[in-house]
Amino acid sequence: MNPLCSPRDHTLSRRAFLGGGLGLLASPLFAEAMKQRDKQVLFVWLDGGMSQLETWDPKPNTEFGGPFRSIPTSVPGIHFGELMPKLAKQMHKLCVVRSMSTKDNAHSSGVDRIQRGDPKNRGVPYPHFGAGVAKLLGPGTSGLPPYVWIKPGSGGFRAEDAGFLGPKYGSLAFGDGKPPDNLLRHPDISAEQDAARNELRQMLDQRFAKQREKRVVEANASVFDMAEKLMARADIFDTSKLPERDRDRYGRHDLGQHMLVARQMLEAGVRFVKVTSYGWDTHGDHFNSQTTMVPKFDQAFSAMLEDLESSGLLKTTLVICLSEFGRTPRINGHVGRDHWPEAWSIAMAGHGVKHGMVVGETNERGTEVKSQPFDIGAAFHTWYQALGIDSHKVEFDNAGQPLPIAHDDMLPIKEALA
Amino acid sequence: MKLEPKQIAEFKSERQISAARFSHDGSMLAAVGYEPIVRRWAFDGKAVTPLPAIEGFHGYSTALAFHPKQPRLFVADSWGQLRCIEGEKTLWQHESAHDGWLRQIAASPDGSRIATCGKDGFVRVWDAATGKKLAEHQAGEDVYALTLTDSITFGDMRGRIETWDVDLKKKQRSFDASVLYKLDRLQDLGGLRVLLFIDGGKTLLAAGTTPQNGATPQSIPTILFFDTATGKLTKTVTHGTNKEGYVHDLVQHPNGCLMAVTAGTPGSGQLFLLDPAEKEAFHENKKMANCHALALHPDGKHFVVTSTNRDSNGNGKSLTKDGAYKTNTSPLHLFEV
Repeated sequence: MNPLCSPRDHTLSRRAFLGGGLGLLASPLFAEAMKQRDKQVLFVWLDGGMSQLETWDPKPNTEFGGPFRSIPTSVPGIHFGELMPKLAKQMHKLCVVRSMSTKDNAHSSGVDRIQRGDPKNRGVPYPHFGAGVAKLLGPGTSGLPPYVWIKPGSGGFRAEDAGFLGPKYGSLAFGDGKPPDNLLRHPDISAEQDAARNELRQMLDQRFAKQREKRVVEANASVFDMAEKLMARADIFDTSKLPERDRDRYGRHDLGQHMLVARQMLEAGVRFVKVTSYGWDTHGDHFNSQTTMVPKFDQAFSAMLEDLESSGLLKTTLVICLSEFGRTPRINGHVGRDHWPEAWSIAMAGHGVKHGMVVGETNERGTEVKSQPFDIGAAFHTWYQALGIDSHKVEFDNAGQPLPIAHDDMLPIKEALA
Repeated sequence: MKLEPKQIAEFKSERQISAARFSHDGSMLAAVGYEPIVRRWAFDGKAVTPLPAIEGFHGYSTALAFHPKQPRLFVADSWGQLRCIEGEKTLWQHESAHDGWLRQIAASPDGSRIATCGKDGFVRVWDAATGKKLAEHQAGEDVYALTLTDSITFGDMRGRIETWDVDLKKKQRSFDASVLYKLDRLQDLGGLRVLLFIDGGKTLLAAGTTPQNGATPQSIPTILFFDTATGKLTKTVTHGTNKEGYVHDLVQHPNGCLMAVTAGTPGSGQLFLLDPAEKEAFHENKKMANCHALALHPDGKHFVVTSTNRDSNGNGKSLTKDGAYKTNTSPLHLFEV
């Protein structure tokens, strides 16, 4: 414990974030917390596992390096795989960690562990990073749902992503980047009729609340609140009115168009936006698939970075891009790379992280981390601290039981923090 | 026409092989694969004996073709290098014949020209003796396969196949092999691997796979038969389940039968022989895992299939008994017919 901290500081850090007493308003720490309410997160999830060797950590002309060349980036001495020419020009905005080394190589457990930060097992499901941010930083001033998820396929509310925080902090998924069905008020119902219906619903809700657990009631009410706010901002799903040039810059593929919706969400003030791209589990015909998948990612992600910078949002938005794990150095009989948690890369940009740098190093063959390896818990500490949340002091409140927000035994990746 | 191949020997290789061919006189087997060298073996009719490898390539050595009448070998790599080699000597070389991955090389029947295609979307024709570029055509997409006769025929990732006259200034015919392509989420699944003329040029075969879904991917080995005169698809042969994957190599035996090898999900793989007049294979061998190349000896009595070691797949850290990180290899299976 830091001897310069007062006991009050420690109480404050938890209570302040959990909605503590008004007396705390005068605290400098609380003022700092209030400032943090403008911070946002873009979390790009490449489901299935991106190959570090064809992207962030190329090993050209080596045993496992694959067929592609590496190219210089905007930061002298740092190279990317040749399939990411647009991002190579934006390396000065990025912080790449090449020394991730995690435990799990199975999708079934890996996805969950990575997105929950793999904390120590305390018998309760931990929240996804998005839910944690939604809880700790709050919904922001936009009034929009704090944790949204843009993904191919179906949408819906995913209460389980919130873990022990309760369903209120779950993710609201927009399938194919579209608003939920029936979002807008039916044309046969007038605004007055709609208001009357809501009044009736709220009355019934109060009766319902008397017989139910508080967190369930809150979640129920928040769904209606979300719907109301979204009805007012249905425009953020509509990219058709954007200039054709913008739509082309992001790419007409689903990742590009979903990233464009994500940009609108961030511009509208959504606290945490997750964008998922599926199909990165390239167990077969890996190199041919990389020739078009990686450039599509390169296009969409680099367009987003450009726009966040030009709008000024990159100053307040923490950008994270990662997968479940990397891909094996060795090539299987189906010309595929399999699951590889041993040595892989993540990329970050924006608020709270250093720019134009690479942290960590893998060996020449790309099979092991040569520098200090970082597990996902270290990444969670890093991200929380980048957002101004002291991940060693601040705790979650699990029905009165304080729980650390990141793995107790791990530390942030200090080299990455601004 | 029907052959009954029997495996007579198996030889080790140190790394994985993606393509292999015999020289015009059958004395040498050469192979390219997942490394920046060309492996060579002497062949005496019973066994292959390693010869010094040719080095100086980059990334992966990706394509090779022997001169049909001379002891010359044309080799390319995934960084765009194209080289003509005789013995140990390089006769000519282009470090950037293409921008990046050079996918296939084909020699003309008389050996005067070679053609190349690449990920950069270009098809190029070269003077085989000097390496001088004679012509080029921008196909626009990643060009996966080609063959060279009096004209040049090439096919791209999306299964668009075209035949152009030799100077590449005029398109003669188009063929629709788009069944060999599928977009699955972000993944473009291009299934074309081999183009081959049979029947004295009357029929064009386009071989590869019919993709079903991405990532792994699941796909069915497929050979499309096109009538060269009309461009029409006349027959489709599929062989195996959606785990069998791609026809990676297809050659025609002097007696007319087609010989193909396939590789799909790790552990699967087959050699099959087909009478082009029929729809079903008359011979099938599934004892080899993940076959990627078939080199037919000029005597017509021998051929070599390269497969992959049985335990090639695996998530995580697969180690040898000595604790070293494993790499995979391609056993060489020698057959006699």
